[in-house]
Parts: sequence; C-alpha cells; structure tokens
Amino acid sequence: MKKLWLTLLSLILPASAVTFEDNDTVVLLGNTVIERAQKYGYLETALTLSANKKNLKFRNLGWSGDTVFGHARSYFGPPKEGFARLKADLTELKPNVVIVCYGAVASFDSREGLPEFLAGYETLIAMIKSSASPREIVIVSPPPAESLGAPMPDMTTHNEDLSLFSRALGDLAKKHQLRFADFFSTLGSSKALTDNGLHFTSEGYQAAAPKFVEALGLTLATGNQLQSEHARKLRDAIIAKNKLFFFQWRPANETYLRLFRKHEQGNNAKELPMFDPLIAEAEKEIEALKKTTLSLK
Amino acid sequence: MITRLLLTATLTTLTASAQRGLKDIPDPDPVKQAAAFNLPEGMEIQLVASDPMIAKPVQMNFDSRGRLWLVSSGMYPHIVPGAEENDKVLILEDTNGDGVADKRTVFADDLHIPTAVLPADGGAYVANSTEIIFLKDTDGDGKADHRRVVLSGFGTEDTHHLVHTFEQGPDGMLYFLQSIYIHSHLETPYGVRRLMGGGVWHFRPETQRAEILSKGLINPWGFIFDEHGQTFATDGAGGHGINNIFPRSVFRTSPGAQRIVDGLNPGQPKLCGLEILSGSGIPKELQGVLIAPDFRGHRINAYRLSPEGSSFKSTRIDDFLSSSHRAFRPIDVKMGPDGALYIADWYNPIIQHGEVDFRDERRDHSRGRIWRVSFKDQPLVEKKNFTESPIEDLLVHTLSKERVHREQARSELRTRNRDEVLAKLDDWKGRLTEDFARMQFMWTHQAVNHTAVELIKSLITSDDPRYRAAALRVIYHRHEEVPGAAEIVKKAINDKNGRVRLWAVSCLAQMPGPDSVPTALQALDHPVDKTMDFALWSIVREHQEHWAPRFEAGKPVFGDKLPHLIFAMKALGKSLSLESIFTSIDKGSLSPTERKDAISVISQVGSTNDLSRLLKLAPKEPAILDQLVTAAQIRKLQPKSGKEQLLPFLDSDKPAVFASAAKLAGLWKLAPAREKLMTAFTNSATKRQAAAEGLRLFGDQETIKLFLKLSKESPDETTRAVAVKELAKIAPDRAASSAVALLQKDTEGKDPHGLFSSFLQSGRASTSLAKALKDQTLPTKIATLGLQRAGTSGRPPKDLMAALQQAGKLTPMSQQLSATDMAKLVDRVKKEGDPHRGETVYRRTDLQCTACHAIGGFGSPIGPDLVSIGASAPVDYLITSLLNPNDKIKEGYHTTLVSEKNGNAHTGGLVSESDTEVVLRDYAGQMNRIARADIKNITISPVSMMPPGLTAGLREDQFIDLVRFLSELGKEGDFKVSAKPIIRDWQVLKPHPRTVDGMGHYGTSVFAEKFEGYEWQGYGSKVNGELLPSELPKVKGRGRNTWGVARFGITEKGKVKLKINDTTLLDLFAGKKKIALPEKGPAIIELTGNEDPQHFTLAVNSAYRQTPVLLELVTE
Repeated sequence: MKKLWLTLLSLILPASAVTFEDNDTVVLLGNTVIERAQKYGYLETALTLSANKKNLKFRNLGWSGDTVFGHARSYFGPPKEGFARLKADLTELKPNVVIVCYGAVASFDSREGLPEFLAGYETLIAMIKSSASPREIVIVSPPPAESLGAPMPDMTTHNEDLSLFSRALGDLAKKHQLRFADFFSTLGSSKALTDNGLHFTSEGYQAAAPKFVEALGLTLATGNQLQSEHARKLRDAIIAKNKLFFFQWRPANETYLRLFRKHEQGNNAKELPMFDPLIAEAEKEIEALKKTTLSLK
Repeated sequence: MITRLLLTATLTTLTASAQRGLKDIPDPDPVKQAAAFNLPEGMEIQLVASDPMIAKPVQMNFDSRGRLWLVSSGMYPHIVPGAEENDKVLILEDTNGDGVADKRTVFADDLHIPTAVLPADGGAYVANSTEIIFLKDTDGDGKADHRRVVLSGFGTEDTHHLVHTFEQGPDGMLYFLQSIYIHSHLETPYGVRRLMGGGVWHFRPETQRAEILSKGLINPWGFIFDEHGQTFATDGAGGHGINNIFPRSVFRTSPGAQRIVDGLNPGQPKLCGLEILSGSGIPKELQGVLIAPDFRGHRINAYRLSPEGSSFKSTRIDDFLSSSHRAFRPIDVKMGPDGALYIADWYNPIIQHGEVDFRDERRDHSRGRIWRVSFKDQPLVEKKNFTESPIEDLLVHTLSKERVHREQARSELRTRNRDEVLAKLDDWKGRLTEDFARMQFMWTHQAVNHTAVELIKSLITSDDPRYRAAALRVIYHRHEEVPGAAEIVKKAINDKNGRVRLWAVSCLAQMPGPDSVPTALQALDHPVDKTMDFALWSIVREHQEHWAPRFEAGKPVFGDKLPHLIFAMKALGKSLSLESIFTSIDKGSLSPTERKDAISVISQVGSTNDLSRLLKLAPKEPAILDQLVTAAQIRKLQPKSGKEQLLPFLDSDKPAVFASAAKLAGLWKLAPAREKLMTAFTNSATKRQAAAEGLRLFGDQETIKLFLKLSKESPDETTRAVAVKELAKIAPDRAASSAVALLQKDTEGKDPHGLFSSFLQSGRASTSLAKALKDQTLPTKIATLGLQRAGTSGRPPKDLMAALQQAGKLTPMSQQLSATDMAKLVDRVKKEGDPHRGETVYRRTDLQCTACHAIGGFGSPIGPDLVSIGASAPVDYLITSLLNPNDKIKEGYHTTLVSEKNGNAHTGGLVSESDTEVVLRDYAGQMNRIARADIKNITISPVSMMPPGLTAGLREDQFIDLVRFLSELGKEGDFKVSAKPIIRDWQVLKPHPRTVDGMGHYGTSVFAEKFEGYEWQGYGSKVNGELLPSELPKVKGRGRNTWGVARFGITEKGKVKLKINDTTLLDLFAGKKKIALPEKGPAIIELTGNEDPQHFTLAVNSAYRQTPVLLELVTE
C-alpha cells in the first residue's frame, strides 16, 4: 500500500521543481550552513519570493555540527536524545515540506564513513515521514568546500569526498522517490563564498541563494525584485522572525527551563509561548513585504 | 578590626526597600562603595568608570592603543520576550591621563549576552551566545559596521556557562573557555570538533583551526599564561583554586571522564578571573603573584606558585584586597597598559540565576564599575599607542620589561604585513643573547603564524627548564614545521626536570606512531607524580592502536622494561597477552611492588585462564581474592578452572580473608562452599555479615528458605537483622514483615543494620515494605530516618514515604514559608542570630552537616564546600536550602541515578565512569562500583542528596543561629577561612581501655605509640582553625583526668616552625618523641615536616583545659 502510494506520488509530482502550497510550513534542516542561513536571510528570502505562495512559514531547524543522527541536538544525553528532540520538533511543527541538507560533517570520514551516513539518512527519512508525514522531503547535497590558499588547508581531496557523498545522496533520493536538489553541483567551483572554506559569508549566502533555488528546480525572482528596497526589508523581517523563533525553539538556559534544573526555574518556561504572537506578527509583515516585492516586475 | 567596623556600618545603613526578605540591598553610591574597600598598606584604589557610563561588565581586555574594551550585558540572565537584543561592546578611554575614563564609545549594541571580548586583528572578537563573531569598524567612525561569524555551534544551556574568557596567547592564538552545561559542536575545515561540558579551546584565525586544549572544570572564568608560557585557570564553581592547564588535561565534571587531575588548591573559594601581577607598577613582593576574584566573598584572593615535579605548588597568601560592600562582585582582573591593575565589578547583590529567579527584582541590570589599583611607592608607566609604531619599534617592545607592552606590541604585529614582520625579525638573527629575549621572539614568530626553528632549538638546550618547556610548547603546536622534532622530544622525555618531561609527553601525544607510547613511558624511569601519571595513562589509551596490535603480534614494544608494560596494560584496561608478566612472576625476579602491580594488572585485564593461574597464587597472596571479586563483579569473569581452591580460605581466622572468600563463593556459586557459609552465618559473630552476603549471592530458593527461617526464628537480633537485610535484596516481599518488626524496636532511630538501604534498592522492594507497614506503627525517629533516606534516593518511592508517614504518625512538615514568614525569619536571623552559637549547632554530629560538607577544603567531599556560602547566598536562599534541599541544587552536586537491568537502582554523586564500570559516592561517602554490563541507564535525578527535615529537631533559636553562622561564612570577620597555614585536619583517638593503665606507667607518651588497636576518627577544626578540647572524645587517664588526643601531619618538607597558642596542659609528640614545651603560654617550636597524618600526636587534658588549641605554621 505504502509503496503504491509512493509510486502515485512520484507520478503526481512534477519532476523538476519542489512544490509549495498556500499556508505550508517549510522546515529547513541541516548543520552549520543551514543554521547560519537564518541570520543572513538571503536563502529564505529567495525561497519566499520564488515559491510565491500565501502565508508560507519557514522554520529553520539547522544546528551547527549536526548529523543525520542528531549529534549536535542532544544536551546531556547520548546522540539518540538529539534525534528524539528533532522528532519531537517535527511532530509539533508538522511541516508540509522538509528540506534536508546533511553530509558536510560526515564527508570528513571519507569513503569509509559513507555506509553509516546513508544508513543514518534512511532512519532520518523514516522518522520524518512517521512524525510529520510531509508532502515533500527534499534531499539537498552539501555545498562544495573552497581552497582559500595557504595557510588555509587545500580542500581538493575533501571535495572528492563531498562529490562522492553528493552522488550517493542522489541515489538515495531516487531509491526513496524523493526530490534531490544537487546544491553541490549547481554551486560548482564557485570562489570566495566562504572565509573558512566551508561556511558562507554574508556575500556568500547572497551569491549562493540563487543556486539553492535553482537546485530546488524553482524559478528565481527577477533581479529587479531581488535588488529592491522591498526585498531588503523583507530580508530584515525574515531575520527578525527567525530570531524570535530561535529564542523560543532553542532557548538559552534550557537546563533550567526544561531539563534537570526545571524544579528551580521551570516556572520561567511560561515565557516561551509569549513568542507565538510575536512570531505571528512578524509573519504578517513578511507576507505583506513579499506581496509588495513581487508586485515589482 | 577595621573590617568588622565596616561590616557593622554597612548593616546599620540598610535601606528600607526590602524585597522578598533580602533587606541588605547596599547603597549603590560609588563613593560609599569605595569607602568599603579594605586595602593593604600602600595600595590605592580609584574608580575608573561607573554607571551610567557602563553597565554590567562581563569581560575586559586592552587593545594596542591602551583602550579598555568590555562587554556589557543587561540582558543577563535571559531575554525577555519581545525585548530587543541590546547588549554592548564598550570602549573606554582616559584621554587626559588622570586614571578616570572620560570617553566612551559604543562599538556594538545589538548583542545577546556577550561573555567575552578581545580587541585584535584590526577589530574585536566577541562571544555572542551560540557563536564567536568578529566585529570591525571599516569607516573609522568608532562603531562596528562589519560583522562576521567566526565559529558557531556553542551551546547555551546555561547563560553563565556560555563560551567566554577570551585570552590572546603569546603564540597569537585565541584561547576561550566554556563551562559544565555547555555542549559545543564546531565545524572546522579539519573536521567537526565537539566539546561536552567545560574546557579550554585554542583557535588560530589564519588557519581556522580550533582544537581542545583541556577538558572539564565546572565554570572556569579565569585563564592566563605565565611569564614562561605555562597556562592556568580558575573555576567560578569549583573549589580547587589555581588549576594547571596542560594539553589533554581533564578536570572534574568532564562528561565520561575516567580519570581527572585535581586543581592545585583544593578547598579554596570559587574564583572568577585570573591575572598575574607584573610590571613596574607592582611592588617587588607581589611580582609574579596570581590574583583571582572571590566574587562571592567580595574580595580578591592571591596565590604564589612554585615548581613541584611535573606541575606546580600553589600557596594561598594574604588577600589582595577585600570589600564589605555586598554588591561588589569582582569578576575580571587585568594588568593595564599604565602598569596599574584593573578590576571589573559586575555590581550585583544577586549573583547566579540557577538558585535565584531569572526575574528576581533584586537582580541589578544597570550598574557596573571598573576600579584601578595602584601602589603609593610604585610610579605607573607611560601608556603606549602601538598602532602608529613601525615594525622595528614593535619588535623592540616585544622585549619590554613591561609584560602588558610586550603583549600589546605582539598583538599589533599581527595586523601588519607578515612578510615585512618576518624580514625585520630576520634582521635580529644572532643578536639575541638572553633566553628570555629568545623566547619572546620565538613567540613573536609564532604570533604571526611562523615557526622559529633556530630559536626553538636554542631554547631547548637552555639551562633553565622553564625555557626548555616553553620551546616544547611551540613544538606541541607546530612539530610538523620543526625538522628533528621527534629527536628533540625523545631527548626531552629523559630531561632532568619533571615539567619538561611532561611537555615531552604532551608533544608525543601530538605525534602518534609506533614509538610514541614506548618513548613516553620512559618517563616512568624518573619520579612520577600524579600529573605525570595522568598524562602517561592518557597517551597509552589515546595511542592504543599504535602499540597494542604490535604488542599482540609479539613485537617487543617495551623492550625489557616490564614496569612499562605493566603500566601500559593497566592504563589500557583491556585483555592482552600476559605471558611475559606470568613468566616474570614465576621467575620471582620482581620486586614486591612490581609483583603487586603485575598481579593487579592480570586481574584487571586477564582472561578466564589467566584468572585460574592467578587463583593458584592466592595462598601466598590473599589480596588476590579481592582482585578476583572485582573481576567477577565488574568484568563478569571467573577463573576457568580450579575454583575449589577457594575452599580453604573459608576456614581462615582472618575476617577480611574470609569476607573476600565468602563473596567469591557466592559470585562463583561454588556449591561445596555453601555448608561452610551457613555454619559461619549461624555461629560466628565476626563472619556473620560476610557469610550472609556470600549466601545471598547464590540467590537460590535454598538461600531464601534459610534467610526466611533465620529472620523469623533466630533468637539473636543481629542474626535476624542480617537475614532480613540480605533477604530483602533477593526476595523483598518475604523480608518486609520481619523488617517492620525490627524497625519497631529501633527507638533510637539509627537503623544500625542498614535495612532501609536494602528496601530502597528497587521499586519492588520499597513497595513490599510499604505494604508491610500498613496498619503498623513505628517509633517517630526511625520513621523520620526512613523518610529522609527514601526522600533522597534518586526515585523517591511515594508509597513507602506515605506508609512511613502514617506508621510514624509524622505530620507532614510544612517546608514552604509564606513571603511574610520568610521576611520575618530573615529579619530575626539578622537581629537575633549568633554565628558563634550557630557554629556549635553546625558541628553537632546529630545534624550531620559535617558528614557531607567541608568548609575551606577540610571535611567531607559529598556536598558543596560551604567556604563562602554566606558571602554569596542571600539569607532567604540559605533558609530554603535547609528546609527544602531539593529546591536548590548546586551544579556538580546533582544526584546521579543508575538503574540496573535487574530493576535495582543506585543513587549518589558521580565519581567516574568507564567502559567497564560506573562509580558513585553514596550518602555515607562510600564508593559504590557498578558494572557497566549491569546498567540499564544513567540519569541525573532532580533530587538532592541532602535529606529534607535535618533541621526539624532544632529549636527556633538554634535554627536562627545556624542560618546566621552560614550567612557569615566567607564574609570578612571570624568566619572567613584564613589563608594562614593552620593545622585543621585531625584524627582523634576514641577511648580505649589500655590508656588508663598505660598512663600510669608511661604518662601521655602512651598516646603517641603506634598501637594497632587504637581507633581513630576524623575531626576538623572550627572555621577559625581552633580545636576545642571539650569536643574531643574523652580518653580516660588517671583519676578524674580525661584527655583529648589528636594526630596530624605537616605537608611542608624540611624544618618548619610551629606556633602553639597556649601550651597549658598540653603535650606534643613527633613520632614517639616528646617535644619540650614551656608549661604555659604561647610557644614557637621547630619541627621536621612529615606528611603522615598520624605522625604528630597532641594530647590535651580535656578535664581541666577549656582554652581552644590553635597550631599554625610560621612562614617567613
């Protein structure tokens, strides 16, 4: 039955582009490249404009150093607690679209680490399906690394590993009939997007955002729209919203708010829901700014 | 005296703005605060900046123009929903040289609880919660307009643990720290680096390499390089004073740590910040002294370091300064570019946010001060603006006698053209003659990411070990660029200096290969102290894949050095071929110590065959039995054959040998032993308990039947109790009714047989006891004790607690005070409480305070050290902690709950964990080893190990005195543990019949004898160091005379002078030799130090002398 459903789904989906619908919740999941994207806003701005749907909600669940196993998400317990935390987040958010970008950390283990990575990815896909049943899961390959010249390390060999992991992710997507966004290839051998060889600078995100959109099969907003004052305000509003969500989703002092010192300061967790109306307000502004931006030609 | 007066003055100026019980919100006027300082002769203090110019300073650092940068957080401890992120980076300048900041620039104002700032590389590095960012002013308007994320992935689980404490090393790297609750995951171009818990990082911006230098510590907010490049840290929540930070060192609370190193001063106040006094603004006698703020105690402590083996000895000396102002919170100290010392004062009556609510109204969010300390007779130096100096001048300044200028110049060089800097450095080639100057240039090269091979090679041959160690530290980071590094390190492992050898081990740890471990272990041929032992243990494990497979393949990895092999095997703790060790044992070629080590390593890593061979050796070495117990319990391994060889040991008349054999018989389920155990159980009082344990380990129906019969029918109460206790562990439902019968007779409420522990091992057991208690009554005292024990077990059993309450007719204690009652009580503590009477209450054995807490490092390690609790905690906090311990639990003191697969559970403080076992310290201080193989899960319990209701038996006035005593601890006055070397740690003699007669023949020298039958117990001095004759056990003499007898050791080596306050009715012995003392009055005598805690014996006539005894070492 499940298989049949998947087959049907693959027939319905257009082969080229990720689909968004009005009121979708879209989760961005991954490690540092995804996490930092929320503070620069370029990626989400480009996606918001390209999708052109009403009331899209983006939730950035990126976490520095994270893996398909949830390594960075556990606090005091083993990695599996991090995985459980992610599961709880997805169960609560019930995203319609989940865009997943892992592989940058695992590729440091080279070819030997690939089987474990893929096995972990399969578990992750199953978990995402069971906890949120999203309409779409998109597997995104990690961006290439840059060799910035001595004394920074040469990343040529590492890029071979990244390429290997990216190809394997393409196969994995095919196996599960999921959409594959080959960010690794669309970025190609771009230069000077990072200042440590791995992570985009502000300018790097600005340059990479169109490639990300392209990898997802979407059509980029016009240059006029993207460079407008409205788009700048939209990006500011997105960054502001992302901060509010971050303060709520990954609050500081979690040891006291929700974990083993809850009995001392858990009463202050009552402040966390107070972010809900603030986020809703920010998203209204985003919706309005998106409309005005897209009204430009 | 001055201090006392000041304290009184502060108390009388209490404001009326009382909030929730805390009335001593001090006057924020900086003039009043300045007047409250207590300064040593010759020191001057001046206000540099205050609110509203600055607020809530967290960390400060000077730039190469001499400006003071600080991060300021009014948001701490937690963002308010809807509030802007508005914390700041501020720059302060004193443009007219009067010492007062007259210009403030807001460099950034959109930060989120920033915890560190370092101006460098043409901008500033700032710790900003989850990330380290770099801020830069590109248009010269003084404000940052460019922001870049440098590293991200730092945890925020607790905002006073966030990544913090930036320090630029002389090597040009950025050092930073994080604390216990933080879990960080940094992606670097070299792979991901994860640090769980506390630790020290280093980061080189040019290569983007971030690595961990050291792990652990609870909340380390002080980090410093000394003059020769050694690193030290202080801990804001740990009590070990100065910690020696060497590569790969692991300290307390590092998750998963199997072994740790201790700090240099156990029992010290918690310290925030660290600086080394140096430069011409500092008097000679304070040069090189480490100072660190005791922010709880409103003062700055001081320590002097001296080399000791591979590490250091740290001695606390008189406080640098102190204040009686309760909002003075010194948290950072830095030498300034003018030669003065700067203090960042967080200014807050409330500290921390774990114990006091985030939103507590008493928490200050707007104040803060910077103070400047100088000395009357030491002129300050001229500040420099290095940004305009040419490279040649900067190089000269890196050799300045002012350390701050050397550091500023070196930091400035990092912003210049690297090729030009290197070219100018080349001009100096061959012109440096002093090692000190060579070292500075070695660092300058390193600071611009270059390796000065020649300088390294010249310093490694220095006569002074400090330079040899400094050269090795560079090799540690850059060995790939030093030709011949391997040879240098190989030679250094046999250096005559311990610290140099330690650095050689650290270097080897960076250079894994077939030789790394065998070379490192050559250090075993020299004196090995704890630090070295740790480093060797660590490299053996870290590099196991480089030596263990070769050893297994029969290669002679350690040559003929059996001790090296034994060390490696013990450290690794894994089964390897033990043939060569057995051969050596059989040959009888080993020294007794080597033989002991060899046997213990076999039991730790040997196979079942090896254990059989070991058992054969037991008749000559009964200690082997204990090792076999561990092998069976923790490793789950038993000798493959020949177990019947155990039987003769069950006839031993030595209780200890019998006990081990009984346990083994049970663990091995050795059927022929059962008969012997049963006989011992019923017939022998000395063997009963051990025999019962052995039988219980059989755990079968036959055993249960036997226990059941004895628990009901034995005429002897102890036999019944032992049977019940052991039965409860295997069949609790059948033991419960007999247990109730025994408890009903326990009117003293002592539970001498430990029945509660047995019934608290599992939910099934506690429920059985609860059921058996239905409709029964218990004496109040025993029911209360049961309630305490149950309440502090990791998963308090509700049914049993209810049953105990009912059976003991205990009215539920109202532990929650209303706000009005709390305010009244706080007021009474202040007005009526007498801290001296309170100390007597504290020391009462029935209250059990001293059973778990130490004050200033003297006493039990189970609970937090209370050395400065009064100076840090508001009175309402103290009251709540006494009445309801679960409300407030100090970090590092949470109870760990280990659940076994069989349903049993153990609770206690986590001591260590390894692949094979987890060790907990229980409420009685006993170590409890649990095999990893038996463990289902380990969790942190929200329950304190301190039982509620301990103070329930106190009268109200006694409770008030006790709180007053606690509230005075650490404040200036009688209840501050002084830095003086006073003898505080004693072992006192329990009454023994032989002394009565012995006195007649030999006089007091009978107490100094090494008689094995004497029983000794621990005793700690009062906070002021006094030993009270009336508190000591009364050892009988002739007639009405009673004596207090106390033994002690002196850790100082060589000749020492000991001051005795009063020699009336007091005798003193060094070993057995009586020391001549005057009949009365004070005396100073000369002794030879001996660290044996039983070496010196003091006997005081407690029938006639009430005057306390105070012994103090006289230091020059």
